[in-house]
Order: sequence, then structure tokens, then C-alpha cells
Amino acid sequence: MKAPPVSAWRGRRAPILLLIAGCGVLLAGIALLSLLCGTPQLSPPDLWRIINGGGSALARVVVLQLRLPRLALAMLAGAMLSLSGTMLQDALRNALAGPELLGVSAGATVVVAAITILHLAVIFSAIPWLALAGALTGGSIVLLAARRTQDAARLVLTGAALSALLNASVIVFMSLGSQNDISVLFLFLVGSLANRTWQHVYLVLPWAAIGIPLALLCARPLNVLSLGDDVARGLGLPVTSARLLILVLGAALVAAVVAVCGPISFIALLAPHLARRISKTTDARAILPCAALIGAILLSGADLFARMAFAPQELPVGVWTTLVGGPFLLLLLRRRLGARRGEP
Amino acid sequence: MMQRIAVRYYRPLILLSLLVLFLLVVLHVAAGSVVISPFDVIAALFNRPVAPYERIIVWDLRLPRALIALVAGAMFGLAGAILQSIMRNPLAEPEMTGATSGAVLFAVLWLSEAGRQLDQPGLLLPFVALPGGLAGGCLVYLLGGAGKSATSRLVLTGVLISAVLRSATSIILLLRQEALGAVLLWLIGSLNGRVWPHWDVLWPWAIVALPSGLACAGLANVLQLGDASATGLGLRVGWTRLSLFFIATLLTAGAVAVVGGITFLGLIAPHIARRVVGADARRLFPFSMLMGAGILLAADTITQTIAQPVTIPVGAALVLLGAPYFLFLIWRRST
Repeated sequence: MKAPPVSAWRGRRAPILLLIAGCGVLLAGIALLSLLCGTPQLSPPDLWRIINGGGSALARVVVLQLRLPRLALAMLAGAMLSLSGTMLQDALRNALAGPELLGVSAGATVVVAAITILHLAVIFSAIPWLALAGALTGGSIVLLAARRTQDAARLVLTGAALSALLNASVIVFMSLGSQNDISVLFLFLVGSLANRTWQHVYLVLPWAAIGIPLALLCARPLNVLSLGDDVARGLGLPVTSARLLILVLGAALVAAVVAVCGPISFIALLAPHLARRISKTTDARAILPCAALIGAILLSGADLFARMAFAPQELPVGVWTTLVGGPFLLLLLRRRLGARRGEP
Repeated sequence: MMQRIAVRYYRPLILLSLLVLFLLVVLHVAAGSVVISPFDVIAALFNRPVAPYERIIVWDLRLPRALIALVAGAMFGLAGAILQSIMRNPLAEPEMTGATSGAVLFAVLWLSEAGRQLDQPGLLLPFVALPGGLAGGCLVYLLGGAGKSATSRLVLTGVLISAVLRSATSIILLLRQEALGAVLLWLIGSLNGRVWPHWDVLWPWAIVALPSGLACAGLANVLQLGDASATGLGLRVGWTRLSLFFIATLLTAGAVAVVGGITFLGLIAPHIARRVVGADARRLFPFSMLMGAGILLAADTITQTIAQPVTIPVGAALVLLGAPYFLFLIWRRST
């Protein structure tokens, strides 16, 4: 992963802007579809009437109170997850460094699960902060245990162990608790966007409003970091503290999403890879916005699918992202994994 | 030092472990909501006269569970030892072959389609779970390119495929939520309510797979030298690795089909065994087998008694113990 020189970036600015515009159009299309589809099915003129303050009362409630917040949440969460994935991958120089494989999601989940299942009295707006504490704990356990962060296999193994630990402790909670909680918790553990309202959006919004611009500002240090520690140090970047700050920011973005939607896997892993493939560059200044848009597209698209596929019934979106994202990631990384032969 | 003594007195060590295993079985049978004295347990096992209710409890309720723990633990221990030696990666474990999650997926699919409850013996269940385990194993083997070289790529493929299979399982469970509670405990592995019919399902697999795994110890030793040396010694590396992988998958799938998706046992047991008897597969494989059996028996005894009326699923306890140990191992290896 080498950052191209500045001139190369200047030359490629037009295609990247075109790509961003294309992603924007795609995102708008998905947004329109997910506002229209479902029960009741609406037509574009209906939607226009609702936006202008007309339309039937039922349709108004459905669109403004149910579909719109859900869509907004999907877009925000997708963008935040993939920004975090890009930052983790570049900062650790590891193609498989996603929050779900680093224990960051797992740490945040176990905190939120404990709050849910033990019925702890916690203020709603404090949940993301607690989740952040969990995310940072989980992430630092994995990073400290793995140490050599560029060895993909080691990192993945460590993350998998931590996730198994989380699942086991949750199941122990559940076998001690009542049966009623099980299905609720199971729905939460795979990550879902169902029944989310404006309240949930308002919970994420401040984190997104601060986190997303900060993440986009990280492009330059990320580019320098991806040259390798020695070169980065030579260029005058305080490597350790820069990396630490970036990791904390990435964990914060994930923690806010997990607190509201649960651990939605593979968006954060896939979106940066897709962005790199499509834009044919590894320059973080181009990749960060592209990945954010692609993440928003992926998650809102997946949510639309989750809502519509088994129409009256709805499966959590986290299941679908794993089911489709896992094989897709394998496919994308086939060559890279092949090149890593010979390592222990 | 300890290792040298263990190697020198290997046969007495094995005899001693067998004795310890017997004592663990007796303890396992003695523990429970009705505590029976260990002497009565031994008397009942050897057909000496004891109180009739104790006889029934020992023979009909607790002995099958203890035997299943014994054999399933042995299968996990051996499978882990085989996998660690063929991947030449001491961090490999049976779950990474995809066998566990494949078997679980097929079992859940079967249970939801046939509309059966897990509380019934489900005699057909292992026959359904086994092809699932084999299919999961084959998938990981083919995609991971294990035929060519056994390295991190196989590990990554295993973790990703397991995640995908687990989420497919979640889809089925979520579509049929009424079965959720019963299956959930099985997903993580539990010995609750295992009786003689389960044992009848388990032992044929064990009788086939355990000896063939032990018989391959010599081949595994050669594989551990590295592909080039093994080829130089006249070994067909690809075939050997495939057949060992197949045996390990068979062991895992058979055990998972009866006790559920227990993880980390196949990782801990070979590790402890390696610390005691060294890396020679001819000593490592049998000892790792005994170790697995002992750990599962002890863990089940503890989880049954520690939080009386509630029983914690033994699989959860094993993960709670195993995952920190694993993290510690990985941390120490990287220093």
C-alpha cells in the first residue's frame, strides 16, 4: 500500500470526483427506493406530496417516523463503519484490520449486551460512551496480544478468540437469565436496523458530526503512515501517537454505531477494499470519502434487501452483510492471501 | 526437565493418566443434584449391591453422560493435535476447519425442517451433522489452498467461512424463532440430557476415527519437517495432508454432532500435552487425546455443580477458560 506522489493525485482528481458523483447518485437511488418500498407501497408523486406536507396521515407517519430515520441511520452507520475500517487498515498496514476482526466491535457489544440483559439503569446517551470504553478495551487486548500487527493471520486469530469469548460470556448470562431475553439479545448480537427511530439517530448524530470530519482530516497522516514506520518517522510524523489517535478515533466511530445498531460485520472490511479497487488508488485522501459513500450504499442497500427479501418477516441486516460479505472478501483478497504464504 | 522425565517414563505416565481419567469418571458420576458417594458409584459400576435408586441414577442417567464426555473430549483433543501438526501452526483448532460450523448449520437446518426438538434423542441428527461437518471442512480445504501449502491462508479462510456458516445458521434460527432457546445451548456445546441413544451414535465414529488418527502419528511427524523435507523422504505430501485433514474433520464432526459446537478444547488439550510430552506426534497424539477427555470431564463436573439448580453449558465454560489461555499463548509467542 504505497501512496502515489502528489502529481499522480492531481492527475487523477477528475475520475475520483466522477466516482464520488456516481456513488452519490447510486446512494440517492437506494434512498428513494427504501423510502418508497414496503407496506404501504408508495409512488414518487405520493412521496413528493408527503415532503410538501400533504399525503395521507398513515403514509406520513410511515415515511417520516419509520423509514426516514432508519434510512438516515443506515447511511450514517455505513459511512462511520467504513471510515473506521479504512483508518484501521491504513494505520496498521493490514488488509484484514476491520473493527469486527480486531475485537473492537466485540468489546462494544459485550458492554451493550450486559446493559440490556442485566437491565442496568443507564442513561440512554451514556451508552455510546460505555460502548467506547468496551471497544477500546477489546481493541487494545487484541492489539497487545497480537503485537505484530501486520501479520494478518495472527490478528484474525486473536480477534476470533476474543469474539468467541464475548459470545460465551453472553451465553452464560443468558443461561443464568430468563428465556424471554434470548431472542431479543440474539437479534441484537447480529446487528440490526429494525425499529430504530429518530431517538436513535439523535444518539449517533453528534458522534458522526464530530467523527466523520475528523476522520477525513486524517488522510495525510494515514498516507504517511502507510509508507512504513521508518519513512514516516523520517518525514517528521510522531508515529506512535498518530497511530494511537487514529485507532481511538476509529474505535469511537464503531462504538457509536454498535451502541445503536449492534455489530454489523464486514461493511467496515469491505468498503475500503472496494473503494481501492474501483478508484485504482491507495491515496487516503481519495479513499476516505469514497469508502464512506460506498459504506453508506452497502449498508442502506443491505438494509433495503433485509427488509424486502422475506417480505412480511424481516431478518437483521447484520446476518446478510456477513453472509454476502464473507465470501466476497475472500474473493477480493485471494491474491493477497496467496502472497502471504510461508509465514507461520 | 519435566519433559525429559515424561518422555522417559512415558508408559507409566499413560497408565497414570488412565487411572486419573477413571477417577474423573467416578467423580463425574458422583456429582449432581443427588450426590452419591464415590464408593457407592464404584460399587454400582462393578455390579455390587447398592440402593436401587443409586443404581438407576448411575447406570441410566449419569454413566452415559460421563462416557460421552470422555469420548467426545478425546475426539476433540486428537483432532486438535492432528490439525496443529499438519498446519504446522500451534494455534490451529478444529473450529477453523469449518467442520464445527458446518455440522451445526446442517443440524439446525434438519431440526427446523423436520420440526423436531433437541430434547428427543434425535438418533438421525449425527448422520445429518456429519455430512455438514465434512462439507464445511472440504470448503475450507479447497478455498484455503491447503493442498499446496498449509499456512495463514488456510487459517484466514477458516475463520471467514466459519463466520459465514454461523450467520447462515442465524438466518435459519431467526426464521424459526420457536426453536431458538433449545438450539442456542447446543450451538455452544452442552452435555445436558445426553443418554444412552446418544452414546450409541457416538461410539461408532470414535471406533473408526480415533485409531486411524493415532495410526497416522508417524506420517504427521514427517509432515512437521516441512514440505520439502517430507517430499525428499518420499512422502506424498498433498495426499497425506488431505487424509489427515479428513480424519480430523471426521473426529470433529462426529463429536460436534453429539455434544454441540464445543470450541477451544481442541486447542488447549494438544497445547498442554505438548508441554508435557514434547512435539513427537507418536507420544503427542495419544496424550493429547487423554488430555481432551480429562478436561471435558472435569469441566462438565464443575459446571454441573458450581451454580446448582442452573447448569452452565460446558461449552461456554470451556470458551471462558480457553480464550484467555489462547490470547496468552499468542501474546507469549510474539515476544
